[in-house]
Amino acid sequence: MILLTFRDLIYRKTRFIVVTLLGAVVFALLFVMTGLVNQFNLEPAEAAEQFGADQWVLPVGVSAPFTSVSVMAIAELDAVDAATKSPVVITRSSVAQGDGGTPEEVVLVGFEPGGLGAPQVIEGRAPQAAGEVALDRSLDVSVGTAITVAGEPFTVVGSTEKMTVLAGIPLAYLVLPEAQVLAFTSTDVISSVLVSGELGPLPEGLVSLSSDAVVAQTLQPLEGAIASIDLVRALLWIVAAIIVGAVVYLSALDRQRDFAVLKAVGASNGSLLGSLALQAMLIALGAVALAAIIQVFLAPQFPLPVTVPAEAFWQLPLLAVVMALAAGAIGMRKVLRSDPSQAFSGAA
Amino acid sequence: MTVGPLTVTDLVVEFVHDGYAIRPLDGLSFQAQAGELIVLLGPSGCGKTTLLSCLGGILTPTSGSIRMGDVDVTKMKGKQLDAYRRDDIGFVFQAFNLIPSLTARENIAVPLTLTGHGRKESFARADELLEQVGLADRGGHLPSKLSGGQMQRVAVARGLGHNPPLLLADEPTANLDHIQAEAIIRLLRGLSDDGRMIIVSTHDSRLVPIADRIVHMVPPDQHEERPTHDVSFAAGESIFEQGDNAQLIYVIESGEVDVIRILADGGEEQLNRLGPDQYFGELGPFLGFPRSASVRARGDVVLTAYSPRVFREKVLHKH
Repeated sequence: MILLTFRDLIYRKTRFIVVTLLGAVVFALLFVMTGLVNQFNLEPAEAAEQFGADQWVLPVGVSAPFTSVSVMAIAELDAVDAATKSPVVITRSSVAQGDGGTPEEVVLVGFEPGGLGAPQVIEGRAPQAAGEVALDRSLDVSVGTAITVAGEPFTVVGSTEKMTVLAGIPLAYLVLPEAQVLAFTSTDVISSVLVSGELGPLPEGLVSLSSDAVVAQTLQPLEGAIASIDLVRALLWIVAAIIVGAVVYLSALDRQRDFAVLKAVGASNGSLLGSLALQAMLIALGAVALAAIIQVFLAPQFPLPVTVPAEAFWQLPLLAVVMALAAGAIGMRKVLRSDPSQAFSGAA
Repeated sequence: MTVGPLTVTDLVVEFVHDGYAIRPLDGLSFQAQAGELIVLLGPSGCGKTTLLSCLGGILTPTSGSIRMGDVDVTKMKGKQLDAYRRDDIGFVFQAFNLIPSLTARENIAVPLTLTGHGRKESFARADELLEQVGLADRGGHLPSKLSGGQMQRVAVARGLGHNPPLLLADEPTANLDHIQAEAIIRLLRGLSDDGRMIIVSTHDSRLVPIADRIVHMVPPDQHEERPTHDVSFAAGESIFEQGDNAQLIYVIESGEVDVIRILADGGEEQLNRLGPDQYFGELGPFLGFPRSASVRARGDVVLTAYSPRVFREKVLHKH
């Protein structure tokens, strides 16, 4: 059965190479789409983890720190009953390189050095004084570069990693007083209080959100985008199934006489079906293997970060094999229906 | 290797095609012994391939029996029939039907591996058979690189793969020139020497001298010259029936006849009505086909019956 399958693949190699390449392009897009959705889900969780807070204290009515404007008096910090707590400012702003640079949107974070919410820099250091900023490396601005934040001059002193939210908007860290002035023109106002460990009862007008709830709320604006990508993924699976199914069907049509002859000489339906099923699986697996290489080059071309999850590299081939078998079913039905008496009919 | 005797009794195969019943085999009977080379002789369309399909367990006849020794092949079903085809029958097909993606050696070995033989054993057997059919040096070639005669020899070797006691060959010389055909005929003749029964369907009379037994699929007397004579039929009487062997051509001297086709459901469809000086029943005798319709006298009718040769000379030229 294996020899029969491989020989037929070699005999019709042009067709199978073309189909494998087509399938590989579709599967590469599936890898990238899967990586996009994975990145959307991963991003707020990674950012929230780096803030190091168990709870976020916010004014009542504010859904989450990254998705709505949150304003509370710094005086309320004293009313928050927790051993470890830090005030933060979170607001949307923009950064630009030099005087004429294009402004890029950022989420501005004001923090207390040494407190919760301080950036975990991978290069340089965290800001300690006015005029210093730490940026996520996705902005591709090196340490020491002069930039403007909301029109004010700053120097980049550190870089963070994986600190983006809302589909790739990078975080920019300033010391708290400077962020307060930029966001609220007052040092009496903050956005939230980060709490680590036990949190006592909150005064009226304040609520707490767990870190997980913050992650979930941050994902909410992306639900439409994720659903759209999921729909495209479903369509890509259908396209892949049509490609594999069509080639298996054509192969079954071409080989109908061969199957009739083999049936006439006593080959069972099972062994012939096995040959066709193996062919479908090999095409699907070949396409997925090629797709895994193509996606390495394709993913960086996307404007949004793409993180293909490790499990996709075994789930996708597994699903592809199941899909190939299902798509090849029509072709396999041809094998079941091929009549051994066809072997007696005239010249091929 | 033991087989036979083969006894075919009153074998009937009926198909329905476009609503009409067709009987390629209608009451065929013959006997054959192990070690014989039997030639099924007849023109195209006379049921040779249908008979081979029945003998090979690929087609179930409408009625009649095929006995191989004590076993009634026509009573076999399912796995028993699969086992009969796999173990007792070897097939050689008219169009060679080699698998184009496999080499000559693989074409012989792969069917063996697919029917449960070990890979090593199958390829050893393939080498042995290639040697036997004189193609030991061509085993690695694809069918597209072989001549018609070489392909047919590979097909014969494939048919012998599991050393079957009965080899069925459908028109094995049909696509070959006389040199290649001679090699195949010699090969088939030699194969029956070790007790194997070989049944060959053909319209190639070159195989007749080497046959131990000839089964005429069309009665041989059909081709004998019969004198021209007048015949009379009363109203409603049948002149001939659909499926009958066709021997004579009729010209109407007086009266009328109805040409009727019998449908698969037993119903009748009138195709034509013919009168004096018109003729009918010419295609069957000319082509060697059975009657494709029935003809009945509408009233009292007088006909002149001609053999095909006389009809062509005396009547057809006049018309």
